[in-house]
Amino acid sequence: MSLEQVTKAEQPATDDEAMLVRVQREDFSIDEELRRVRRRSKRIGGIAMFLGTARDRSKGKDVDGITFEHYEGMAQKKLREIRERAIRDFGVIEVLVLHRYGEITIGENIVLIIAAAEHRAEAFRACQWAIDELKQITPIWKLEHTPDGEVWVEEHP
Amino acid sequence: MVTIQLFGMTKMLAGNQGTLSLSLHDGKRVKDLVSVIDAAYPKIGELLQKKKVLVSVNQEIAHEDLEVKDGDEIALLPPFAGGNR
Repeated sequence: MSLEQVTKAEQPATDDEAMLVRVQREDFSIDEELRRVRRRSKRIGGIAMFLGTARDRSKGKDVDGITFEHYEGMAQKKLREIRERAIRDFGVIEVLVLHRYGEITIGENIVLIIAAAEHRAEAFRACQWAIDELKQITPIWKLEHTPDGEVWVEEHP
Repeated sequence: MVTIQLFGMTKMLAGNQGTLSLSLHDGKRVKDLVSVIDAAYPKIGELLQKKKVLVSVNQEIAHEDLEVKDGDEIALLPPFAGGNR
């Protein structure tokens, strides 16, 4: 573990950087997360958000519920990388990346990306890139519960 | 002896075990590990050969020539959740 990681881990779990990248079982409040991002800078003038939710159909089949499994440690590491690269490469001010794990009921929140920038163009670009990248590199797996049984989802975008 | 963490479908293919403990005799590279897994769990072996399941070492996707050391954190990663755009 690097010195930087140790320092981050020791910071109180309030509005520090650790709260901007999370993998958690419980649901989140979009308002609360937006406030968390907006508090980071008064220079923010445009915020783009992506919210992924649990839908009741997949490849033409009914889905009753979803379970997400993640690789603890690596999942957080990849999400931190996404946040850092989005800020570095897209000129945005702040990025928040949240993903839930465990059992998710249809209609519930799954994943939230918030990208805040001075202007909307960078915010939209960073937000789209972050969710696409999340789906490519983050070790999170989806088990769909269907009337025919449980299926691990393995398609890529 | 190395311990390998399993996730998603690989856990199911290993009979719902969360980890595998394997002995590496003939070489200590990732490809040697793949051979040992292939012998014990051919279905997982096939997915590894096709690169549908990847090996991670210390939380990074590992090349087949990477040497595995004592204490390394090893996992088998099936295709990520992905989802349609």
